[in-house]
Amino acid sequence: MPHDDATQAVELYLSRLRKGLRGLPAPDRDDIVEEIRGHVLERIESGGTVTPQAVDTVLRAVGDPDQLARQYGTDAMLRHAVASRSPWLLLRTTAGWARRGAAGLVALLLALAGYGSALVCYACAVAKPLFPSHLGMWVTPERTVTIGYFSGRLPSELMGLSVGPTAGLVVLGTFGPTQGPVRELLGPWLTPAGVVAGFLLALATTWCVRRLIARRLQGRRPGPLAAAAAAP
Amino acid sequence: MTRNDGAKKPPDGEKPAGQDGGWEAQLRRGSLELAILASLWNRRLYGLEILRALESTSALGVAEGTLYLILGRLKAEGLVDAEWVDARSGHPRKYYWLSGPGRDRLRRMALIWAEFSANLDALVEPVLDRKERARAPR
Repeated sequence: MPHDDATQAVELYLSRLRKGLRGLPAPDRDDIVEEIRGHVLERIESGGTVTPQAVDTVLRAVGDPDQLARQYGTDAMLRHAVASRSPWLLLRTTAGWARRGAAGLVALLLALAGYGSALVCYACAVAKPLFPSHLGMWVTPERTVTIGYFSGRLPSELMGLSVGPTAGLVVLGTFGPTQGPVRELLGPWLTPAGVVAGFLLALATTWCVRRLIARRLQGRRPGPLAAAAAAP
Repeated sequence: MTRNDGAKKPPDGEKPAGQDGGWEAQLRRGSLELAILASLWNRRLYGLEILRALESTSALGVAEGTLYLILGRLKAEGLVDAEWVDARSGHPRKYYWLSGPGRDRLRRMALIWAEFSANLDALVEPVLDRKERARAPR
């Protein structure tokens, strides 16, 4: 009778673990669950008399199954992403990582800023032929260069990617208002320049984010444990 | 409304700790990979055997499940290899052993550790009195 209770507690624990691991490929999931099962059963058997308390102690020592599954999930996700060139996958991965700690948040902000800037460049390149007088590389008297949208009426805010001392180095969004005069630098060259700049920005962002992920994977510390412990 | 509200919650299986305990836990965690690799020097072990080797040196400061997480990570990095072996009685066991790169990495880590701990030992030596020095292992 107590033996049945013990089996039930172990199976409940393992099913929670398995459920938490559902994002992983089935062979990996089975591998992890079987390894933990062997560990738990051997611990219980070596403990002598099987009581519900003894089983509980063993399961407690292994740790919370949901948390363990989350750690495996983060690991698998990062390992997958580190070999990827897809901005979408890298953004999703860093978003998941950001929920586990400060390093992940840094990576997410970097990814958002980098890919966001690249997107602005691409959007300008594509939209330039449609709104030739409103899109461009604008220079304001505040010595700020903006790639993006200018309404043409002063005073005005500039929308897009701004670089310059008064913009606080780099601003993604609106800059201004400026009193003008506003000069445009590139003319029709905005389209090829935007494509090249967008490509280089995306490439640099991918490289940086992957470096951050690789560093995290090679970290000597057993990973997101400290961060996961601090999370609610 | 527990008294732990707002404070960092320690992972399961880890003692709730004050400031010193937090430092100790970090130190243990930081040396965990070295301890796991070192336990596999010249032998094949399965998870629970590695755990027992670590318990005897009290090197594990984390939940036991974390051991398997780190073993999985070491395997993904190619530092250890693993194989399921059917035990004569009971459950199949996953045995781990060091790969070539794993042995190299462990050698380098061990050298760094030996130098680091020797320097630190020399520094803290005057802080301890004779009794405490005798009590400290090795």
